[in-house]
Amino acid sequence: MSQKTYDDVVSEMECRRAKALAMGGEEKLAKRKAAGYLNARERLAYVLDADSFLETGLFSSSSVVPQDRDRTPADGKITGFGRIDGREIAIVANDFTVKGASSSLTNMKKIGHMKRVATDRGLPLVLLGESSGARMPDNMGAQGMGTLLGNDPTQYLRDRKTPWVSALLGPCYGSSALYACMSDFVVMRKGASMGVSSPRLVAMATGEKLDAEELCGWRLHAEVTGLVDAVVESDEEALDTVRRFLSYMPAHHNEPPPIAAVPAGSEAEAETVGDLLPASRTRGYDARRVIDRVVDRDSMFELKPALGKSAVTALGRIAGRTVGMIANNPMFKGGALDVPACEKITSFLVLCDSYNIPLVMLVDTPGFLIGGEAERQGAPGKIINFMNALQLCTVPKLSVIMRKTYGQAYLNMGGGRNSDEVAAWPTAEVSFMDPRFAVEVVASADADEEERARIEAQMERESAVWGIAGNYGVQYVIRPEETRAWLERMLSVHCTRLRGGVGEHRLATWPTSF
Amino acid sequence: MSSVEVKSEVTGSVWKIGCRVGDTVTRDQELVILESMKMEIPVIAPQDGRIKELLVAEGDSIAEDQTIAVVEVG
Repeated sequence: MSQKTYDDVVSEMECRRAKALAMGGEEKLAKRKAAGYLNARERLAYVLDADSFLETGLFSSSSVVPQDRDRTPADGKITGFGRIDGREIAIVANDFTVKGASSSLTNMKKIGHMKRVATDRGLPLVLLGESSGARMPDNMGAQGMGTLLGNDPTQYLRDRKTPWVSALLGPCYGSSALYACMSDFVVMRKGASMGVSSPRLVAMATGEKLDAEELCGWRLHAEVTGLVDAVVESDEEALDTVRRFLSYMPAHHNEPPPIAAVPAGSEAEAETVGDLLPASRTRGYDARRVIDRVVDRDSMFELKPALGKSAVTALGRIAGRTVGMIANNPMFKGGALDVPACEKITSFLVLCDSYNIPLVMLVDTPGFLIGGEAERQGAPGKIINFMNALQLCTVPKLSVIMRKTYGQAYLNMGGGRNSDEVAAWPTAEVSFMDPRFAVEVVASADADEEERARIEAQMERESAVWGIAGNYGVQYVIRPEETRAWLERMLSVHCTRLRGGVGEHRLATWPTSF
Repeated sequence: MSSVEVKSEVTGSVWKIGCRVGDTVTRDQELVILESMKMEIPVIAPQDGRIKELLVAEGDSIAEDQTIAVVEVG
């Protein structure tokens, strides 16, 4: 046997590198390109700062089926470290051209390593999902199960020490779906799917015939399940959205979020917020416009916009600092909080509390939406999850009562000392229930119209803000145009300086969906 | 030509109707106002089009997801 020279071994290394970088081959890559989808390496190049990707496991391949060794570049999951806006992150990009990026022994070790490093060293983790599920036949049989599944008791443990972001960029079954459900933020490209099983397996198992879009497409997740935070049109837009989400986040739970420059004109815009209130107390308006004007210009980043639309959850910045904005939206269902809205808010509280993001609640709700549908959906349980989450939050909490706040919803939106500070606009109405309902409860059965009108008028007067400002239930009464300045000052007063801007993270192990 | 059903997002009653069959409507135009939770809840046109059917009358009780109108589009 001849001795290999240094040039020989380097040449072999370069040959192997080229083979790994070629992924699943020209034909498969060309097909993706024709369909308008980026391949895994193009996605990495797009989402990361230029030339910042350092790959781990470039020379890895299948280690279960011997004949797969030479045809599984990177074992279908490309892993490594990169930078986004100059910060180190850990990243996994599924390469669907290699056995559908299915999960097997080597690539599971690679993902495990990325998760461990991200958690132990305080790096955000980005998961670019597109996978078919467990690889066959690797996982089959008792030996396959013993080899591949269940050998890492922390595989699906989520304790939110660093932000995880998932992009769903194609068929996402198996690990791509499961890790998305463990992530703090999920963006889905239209045309992608995310579910337990593919339509083919569903049809085989149950006879139910649904295409991927019907079974688990973007509309289902955006409007019904809430498992997706944002829906976009293209791979590029998805990757831009990943970068944008991370711009609001700290790298890990032991530091406050980064501070951004304040765009010119932010204060002037905030001074026009009062113009958005309609003259009639019963008419709706779009609370997203209120948020947009109160936060730094162009910093509003709404999560789950198509779910539970009577509430808005949005990240934003005030004076450059990340805030979590929660608003009732009278534009939808009159702002009445239904079950999806409660669930959306709860998951947002978990996010903000886990990553030291102060909360701002903009209040205008006639209460929780009541009725048969609400009870069937377990409304009392959802209301108390929301309430419990709010009381467990240790980040600063501020409430601004814009208009209505009644009953239990008053507490859920920060009233009754469930916020650190409560301000009210002079338009605020605070009571146990809307006077027009209350009059029916209070007036005696034989009270005439005149008597009912007198009682209702009295109740309306007593719902004005002055009663609760008088007994210090509301600590400030401010004009709408003063809202941003008040929030900025209160965020300064309440920044958790005794702990360096870091909260206690009591919600860090709460689920990502409810 | 295709049709889009405009549905109620909430259980409540029909307070005011602001359109008639045959009217041309534009996206986001208020078609009907519902009342629920003592709030006025506008029902808006999802797209530009023409009112093909109006399936409710003022004072009617309506359920969540019930079709209020059909708009002909395209």
